[in-house]
Amino acid sequence: MTSQIDALQTIFTEFYYWITVVLMFLIHVGFCMYEVGASRYKHHQHTLMKNTMLIPLVTVTWFLFGWWIYWAFPTGPGLAPSIMTESTGLVLGGGFGANDLANPTNEFMAITLNDHVMGVFWAAFLLFSWTAASIVSGAVIERITTFAFGILAIAIGSVFWSIDAAWGWHFDGWMLKILGYHDAYASGVIHAVAGGFALGVLAVLGPRIGKFSSSGEPRNIGPRNPWLVTVGLFLIYTGFWGFYAACNVPIYDLGPEYGMEGVTFFTATNIYYTPTTLSGITMNFLMSLSGGLLAGYVISKGDPFWTYSSGLAGIICASAGNDLYHPIQSLIIGMIGVVIAYKLHYWVERKFKIDDAVGAVAVHGYAGFAGLVICGFVLNGYPSSGYSVGAMWDGSTYAAINPLGMFIGALIMFFVLGMIPGWIIAKVLNGMGKLRIPREVELAGLDYQIMEEAKEDEKAVASSSS
Amino acid sequence: MATVNNWIDHLTAASKAEGGAAGPIFPGAGSEGILVIILVIIWIGWTVISSRQESDKLEKLARRKPSSNAWKSNITDG
Repeated sequence: MTSQIDALQTIFTEFYYWITVVLMFLIHVGFCMYEVGASRYKHHQHTLMKNTMLIPLVTVTWFLFGWWIYWAFPTGPGLAPSIMTESTGLVLGGGFGANDLANPTNEFMAITLNDHVMGVFWAAFLLFSWTAASIVSGAVIERITTFAFGILAIAIGSVFWSIDAAWGWHFDGWMLKILGYHDAYASGVIHAVAGGFALGVLAVLGPRIGKFSSSGEPRNIGPRNPWLVTVGLFLIYTGFWGFYAACNVPIYDLGPEYGMEGVTFFTATNIYYTPTTLSGITMNFLMSLSGGLLAGYVISKGDPFWTYSSGLAGIICASAGNDLYHPIQSLIIGMIGVVIAYKLHYWVERKFKIDDAVGAVAVHGYAGFAGLVICGFVLNGYPSSGYSVGAMWDGSTYAAINPLGMFIGALIMFFVLGMIPGWIIAKVLNGMGKLRIPREVELAGLDYQIMEEAKEDEKAVASSSS
Repeated sequence: MATVNNWIDHLTAASKAEGGAAGPIFPGAGSEGILVIILVIIWIGWTVISSRQESDKLEKLARRKPSSNAWKSNITDG
C-alpha cells in the first residue's frame, strides 16, 4: 500500500470482513441456544458441548485443508477449464491457485504485511463452515455420539461445503460456466447442502426413542424452553445479516474488471463480481424474513417454534437471488419457501420415519432447494457471473441463469454433495458402532453422570458446617 | 526465533524491495511446515483421546441402566 487511497480501500475491506465475522459468530451462539432450548433437560449439556466442539474441529481442518479445497476445485476437477490456468485440472498456481493462497504452509496463512485481506476472508468462509456443520447438529440431537458428530462436522464443514463453494460460488466455478448457477447468499451452497447432508445422516441414525408409536404415528417432542429457542433464532437472524454482508465484495471498480475502456464504476458486488448494493440486499433480507414469518404463522396456525423457524426459511429461500430481486419478490419467494418446507417436513416424517428434531432439513434443505429452483425462473437470462461479460479464453462464454441449470444445481447441492455423502459417512460410523449412543444412555439422559456429580457436590456443600 | 529485531530496518528494507514486500512477521518464519505437522498431531491425538473418553463414559453409564426418570432426582437447581 503505497498511496493513501489504496491503503484506505484495503483497510476498509479488511475491517468490513472483520465486522462480518464478529456478526456471524452470533449465528453459532444462536444455534447453541436454539438447540439447548429444543432438547430435553437430561440432554442439555451434551447438546451444548457437541455444538461447541465443532468450532475447534472445523476451524483446525479448515486451516489444514478446507480453504485449500475451495481454491483448488473450481474446475471440478475435469468438468470445465479454469479461466486462469486454461486447464481442467486442480487450480494450484497462477496467482489465485490453492497453493498460492491457501496452502497452510503459505505466508498468507499467517500474519504477513504483504496482505491484509486473506485472513479475514478465510475467517468469513470458516464461519460459513461452522454454520453448515451447526445445521446438521440440530437435526441429530439427543442420540448421536460427540465423536461421530465431530467426523460429520468436519466432512460437511471442511470438505463438502468447500467443494460446493468451489463449484458454485467461486468466480471460476464450473457450475457457473456450464449450468448458469447463481446463488448469491447461499440458498444452495450452505443451506441445501447442509440440509441434504443432515437428511442422509438421519436416515442412518434413526429417530429418538419414543418419537414414533408402535403403529408408526409420529409424536411431538416439542422444545423444552421456547424462550431460549426464540432468542436463539433472533440471534441467528442477526448473524445472518453479517452473513449477507460477508457474501459481498464491499467496494470494487467494475470498469477495468469487465474490460470497459475508460470506464470507472465503483460498486459493491456479490461474490460473482456482479453489481448489487448493500442497501438493496438489506431491504430484501428484511422482506424475505417478513414473508417467512407471515407464511409460517398461518401455515403452522401460530405455532411459535415453526413461526420463528419460518422467518429463517423465508430468508434462505430468497437468498439465491436476493442480490437482484425486488423486495416484494423476496417476500413472496420467502412465503413460497416456507409452505414447501413445512409441508415436506411432515410428509417426509410420516412417510420415511425421519426424526429431524429441529426441522433443520426443512428450514435449510427444502427451503434452500426451492430457492434455487425459483431463482432459475425469476432471474432467467441474467449473467451468472461478472465474467459472463465477454468470451473466455477458448471463445466460450459463461451460461446465463436458467431454470434447468438451477434445478440441476439444486440436485447437486442437496443430493450429490449433501445427502449421499452424509448417508455414506453415517453408514461407515454406524458399522464401526460409533454413530449412536447406547439405548440405556439415551433413556437415562446424556447428562446423567454430570447431574449426579453436581448433586453430590451440592450435598457435600450443604452439609458442611465450616 | 525473532523474525524482526528492528522495525525501522525491517520496513525500510521492505519498502526498497520490489513491490514493497514486508513479508511474514511471526516468530520462526520459515518453520511453517513443522507447525502444520504439529497441528495435525494435535488434531488426530485429540480425536483419539476424546473418543476413548467418550466410549468409556457411555459404557459405564449403560452398564448402570438408570431408569428414564432417574435423572429427575439429580436436579440441583430446583
